[in-house]
Amino acid sequence: MEKTIIINIGNTIIHIEESAYELLKAYLNEVKQYFANHADDLEIVTDIENRIAELLTEQLEEQKKQVVDSANVNSVIAQMGRVQDFDNTAEGGEEPIIDNHYQYQYTEKKLYRDMDDRVVAGVCAGIAHFVNADPKWIRLATVLISLAGGFGLLVYAILWIIMPKAKSRVEKMEMKGEPANLQGFQKNLDEELQAVKERLTEVNKHAQPLFARFGIFIGEFFEWFGRFISGTGKVIFKVIAGLIVVAGVLFLLALIIGTAVFQGFWDASIYEYFPFSIVNESNRGMILLGAFVVCFVPVLALVLFSIRIAFNKQITNKTLSFALLIIWLGGVAVTGYHVAKILSEFKQHAELTQTTDLKSFPTYTLNIDKSKYFTKEDSLAYHIDANNRHQIVVDDMEDGPFVSPSRIRIDINKSENGITRLTQKYESQGKTFQSALQNAQNISYNYIMKDSELVFSPRFQLRKGSIWRNQEVRLTLEIPVGTKLILKQDIYRYVNNYWAWECNDSENDQNDYSVWVMTDDGLKCVAKLKEEALKRQKLKGELYDLELLQKNKTDDVIYQDSVSNRIREVKGELGIAP
Amino acid sequence: MIAENTQTQMRKGILEYCVLSIISRGEIYASDIIAELRSAKLLVVEGTLYPLLTRLKNNGLLSYNWVESTSGPPRKYYTLTEDGRGILSQLDQTWQELAYAVGVSQKGANS
Repeated sequence: MEKTIIINIGNTIIHIEESAYELLKAYLNEVKQYFANHADDLEIVTDIENRIAELLTEQLEEQKKQVVDSANVNSVIAQMGRVQDFDNTAEGGEEPIIDNHYQYQYTEKKLYRDMDDRVVAGVCAGIAHFVNADPKWIRLATVLISLAGGFGLLVYAILWIIMPKAKSRVEKMEMKGEPANLQGFQKNLDEELQAVKERLTEVNKHAQPLFARFGIFIGEFFEWFGRFISGTGKVIFKVIAGLIVVAGVLFLLALIIGTAVFQGFWDASIYEYFPFSIVNESNRGMILLGAFVVCFVPVLALVLFSIRIAFNKQITNKTLSFALLIIWLGGVAVTGYHVAKILSEFKQHAELTQTTDLKSFPTYTLNIDKSKYFTKEDSLAYHIDANNRHQIVVDDMEDGPFVSPSRIRIDINKSENGITRLTQKYESQGKTFQSALQNAQNISYNYIMKDSELVFSPRFQLRKGSIWRNQEVRLTLEIPVGTKLILKQDIYRYVNNYWAWECNDSENDQNDYSVWVMTDDGLKCVAKLKEEALKRQKLKGELYDLELLQKNKTDDVIYQDSVSNRIREVKGELGIAP
Repeated sequence: MIAENTQTQMRKGILEYCVLSIISRGEIYASDIIAELRSAKLLVVEGTLYPLLTRLKNNGLLSYNWVESTSGPPRKYYTLTEDGRGILSQLDQTWQELAYAVGVSQKGANS
């Protein structure tokens, strides 16, 4: 069996075997090349093509055949004569001489993708032919460039689009830089007959428009991808699928256990932790079921699908899949409903404000007490003797994943009326204003005032049984101008409107406190103020010296210039207009 | 090699004259010209003939008609033009002179 091609030669349609076609094409190329410099090349070549068509048609009729084979083509070539025979006979001085230039030109290499020696698309092999190198080095370089930032992959893809495939034998010979004439061709034919796996019908595609090339690229890419998946990729996918099965099954088990926990089988207190403390008690059963279904079903489906890939076993049918889908949608609906319901309980906002006027002192100390205040029951449970003052429990619990956001915030402001005043503001959300207010009232918060020291608790508590509705406690301390404030290091992070860390005494930054003073422009760091005053003092001294120096050497322009420059700088820093 | 060269030169000169002579006998197709040349033992491949015919035609010595063919595409049938006949008669004369020259060169003027 041989593939045939339909060709149009000399306005005649001829069926020709592919190998014969290649032979004929090479011959005609040779003839065209030979007459290329001739004035009437087109006419001559047309005459020759017409005659070849005629001869082939005659031969087919004589031999009662449908398809031209290599023998036919060879006999036609014998009759028409080889290009070498042209030299020896007619057309003396006028004929073009095959010179070295022509030979050189024709053996010029062209850049094609080598589809016979390809790993992905034959780009590297093609480049290797072009630059006369071993393809493996080009491939190695490509891989290295790809690893360094993926640039190589981009270049590869572009070259894949731009470089045409070497399809015909002539193109393959051009790619390898062998002369694509008849001798070269026949030599090549024998070699390639064994090596060539796929033969392609189309003629030159040099002038393919770019989008067509891009289409070919896409097609080839998926063809390659398909080969990859069915070959090496298959194993990888199976391994991945197996891992997914294991992980998925573990996840499902964890989900079941977790649900049981939430259901209260093992640990009933889990709803006291954030974010589960958001959920109302009455909704818990439904929302738990809904969330369970929403998480469980997709993972189950993924596991079933992975089993199918990994072990080639179909263990689901359509009914089961459909039922799973329905169950999942049901779960989504239930969860969605309850989530919406809970969200609606954040609709209204309420604030509760409590103002306390404090006894006035020239200096206040602000501190945080990390001790946790236990209820009587808890004290008993943890074996804490409430009367034993030496036992102090320190609460180091910070904001974490399961800690409800219950940090307090402190603002320090200037008092307009000279009275030191602490305002506690309790805020909360709720479905209605009343419920929001109720939630705000459920906040319990403590601070202690010992003489001039104010000790705050770092977080507020919600009365038992309350649910989290974005409760907040904001403290505002108003102090008169001139009052000093000592902030202990523990409290820094709770101060809302100042960056407490910036006040470091440069001489002694080991201090675990900083000293501030209230001014008309707000709270200022005392250490900073001192530093600034010192600097100003120095600058003023320098200015005085400079003004003295200015009076010397009045003739020296350079000297005067530099002195007055420095004066300007110093005045600028002092804020005096020059 | 030298002999070959000279032979080629001689054949080249004669080929054109022969082709014109064959065409002068009447309208003729290129492959028939080849056949005639073959029978005259002037070995030529067809590929050689087409450039020659094209050149002669472009010089105004030949003209051609398209004639439908039973097998394959229409064929070009060549005839001599008036100019061609003029040239041919000049060539005839040249050939007589050459034949005489060759005869004399080979056997001497008196034989």
